[in-house]
Amino acid sequence: MARETIKAEITGNVWKIVAQVDQDLAEQETILIMESMKMEVPVLAPVKGKLKELLVKEGQDVSEGQDLAILET
Amino acid sequence: MAFEKYIAEHERRTARALAMGGKERLEKQAALGRLNARQRIDHLFDPGSFIEIGMFARGEPRGDWDKTPADGKVTGYGRINGREAAVVSHDITVKSASSSPVNVRKMGHVRRTAIANGVPLVLFNESSGARIPDTMGAIGTGTLGQDPTQFIRMREIPYVAAVLGPAFGTACWFTQLSDFVVMRKDAQLAISSPRVTEIAIRQKIDPMELSGWRMQTEVTGKVDYGVDSDEEAIDLLKQFLSYLPSHHNELPPRAAVPAGADEPATKLLDLVPEDRAKVYDMRKVAAALCDPGSLFPLKDRFAKAAFTALGRIDGRTVGILGSNPMFKAGALDADACDKACTFFVLCDSFNIPIVILADTPGFLIGVEGERRKAPGKVINMMSALQMCSVPKFSIVMRKSYGQAYLNMGGTRNTDEMLAWYCADVGFMDPNVGVNVVYGVKREEDPQRFEQLVEEIRRDSSAYDLAGIFSAVAVIDPRESRRWLARLLELHQRRLTKGIGKHLLSGWPTTF
Repeated sequence: MARETIKAEITGNVWKIVAQVDQDLAEQETILIMESMKMEVPVLAPVKGKLKELLVKEGQDVSEGQDLAILET
Repeated sequence: MAFEKYIAEHERRTARALAMGGKERLEKQAALGRLNARQRIDHLFDPGSFIEIGMFARGEPRGDWDKTPADGKVTGYGRINGREAAVVSHDITVKSASSSPVNVRKMGHVRRTAIANGVPLVLFNESSGARIPDTMGAIGTGTLGQDPTQFIRMREIPYVAAVLGPAFGTACWFTQLSDFVVMRKDAQLAISSPRVTEIAIRQKIDPMELSGWRMQTEVTGKVDYGVDSDEEAIDLLKQFLSYLPSHHNELPPRAAVPAGADEPATKLLDLVPEDRAKVYDMRKVAAALCDPGSLFPLKDRFAKAAFTALGRIDGRTVGILGSNPMFKAGALDADACDKACTFFVLCDSFNIPIVILADTPGFLIGVEGERRKAPGKVINMMSALQMCSVPKFSIVMRKSYGQAYLNMGGTRNTDEMLAWYCADVGFMDPNVGVNVVYGVKREEDPQRFEQLVEEIRRDSSAYDLAGIFSAVAVIDPRESRRWLARLLELHQRRLTKGIGKHLLSGWPTTF
């Protein structure tokens, strides 16, 4: 089992958290949705895995490169 | 029988070459779930079409003559679905397919023959790198480099590569030179092996981080696909080649159009939300515009704000570049510009018309972008687009702002620019523009802010673009495929029989 940190690809605000901790995610499944550049931008699981940790809360501002979640693959 | 002793000797030597590195090593290769060098060739070429050259080549040191069948690289020519191609298949069971003066000579001959005769070069890369001790010392190393054209790429023909095991040294270099690359998920691609790297830099190395498929598909972007098997890798190479001409003075082959090909594009209004705050996947739009099942994404895990693919419209090969709002809101960053550049080079070199789908808030600006040389990348992309002499079409779908509007084919940067009736073009997002131009923030004076947004938004519609004849037509999204098919029919570059100037053919093969 490897742990993979999901990072923000863009600066913005966490608008909605969609997935729950311990949820099994398919590749490309939505973890959370950020609001950035006046758009709702989804953060997707890069590979199949289990969501182990969420490191941000709804409404939180995040910077590009900031850790958002940890996936066990 | 006449020539009896010659026949016996010929059969013995042939059997020895075909036995490769021996039963034990071949079994080890099979146990890894990998095909051997010759099985890969069987999977690539039409049955019975392979002719091998260099079968009786062997390593130079006399002691190696019996231990180096084909000197570890199997080379020759065959047909893929009836079309000629050349192959270099590294045989990992013979001295780890390491590169020696003799097998590099074989590779060079096959490559030059492929170029001279206009057939694609296929590379099955799996090699430990330079052969030791043959290349040691001044004599060993100085013997290399006999071919001053070895690393020139003018893209007279396509190079495609599958990385099917450890690929270091020459196997890595020729992967970098290739137009399309597929890699097994358990393979490795790097300058040197993790072991050599660890010794050299005195640091513990995670092999997958150094050289794994995710590094190559997501970070460097050199590899187009990560796959689980050799068969899948080879099938992808064949699929890629099916879109391309065999050489640069030929048009891509035209395919039959499947029944019902126009149907998906009539559903485009269901794929793209009217609300601009909502994202969608540009890949689905591109698939709907292409003949069903023909969309073939390239570098799909890399720089995802820019989507690139080959596809077919009305049976004709096209290259599609789209900004993808699903990732980074479709804002183009330095990697996205590199990806677009590489894509333009491919299309320009092989006479493939380009279709650009624009829905972008602009370039992603910031300190990180500057650090990654974004301004240079932006202008490389722009320059590459302007140098492409193949037919170019663009569609402004929802929004397209600032310099990114031009980079995505705005106005005369494509031969014909269409605008969907919901297109919105301006110098930047109006919500940001109000603050920049008038210094008014929404939270301080909401009413005035909204007024000014409306003011900036005025004159930014599709009809304004068409009014100054930048857009040649304002269209219903559902008509997009019909328009593109008709434009492709018209823009045939008949004076040169569809062959472009290939001004980008000598551009770097990586970025």
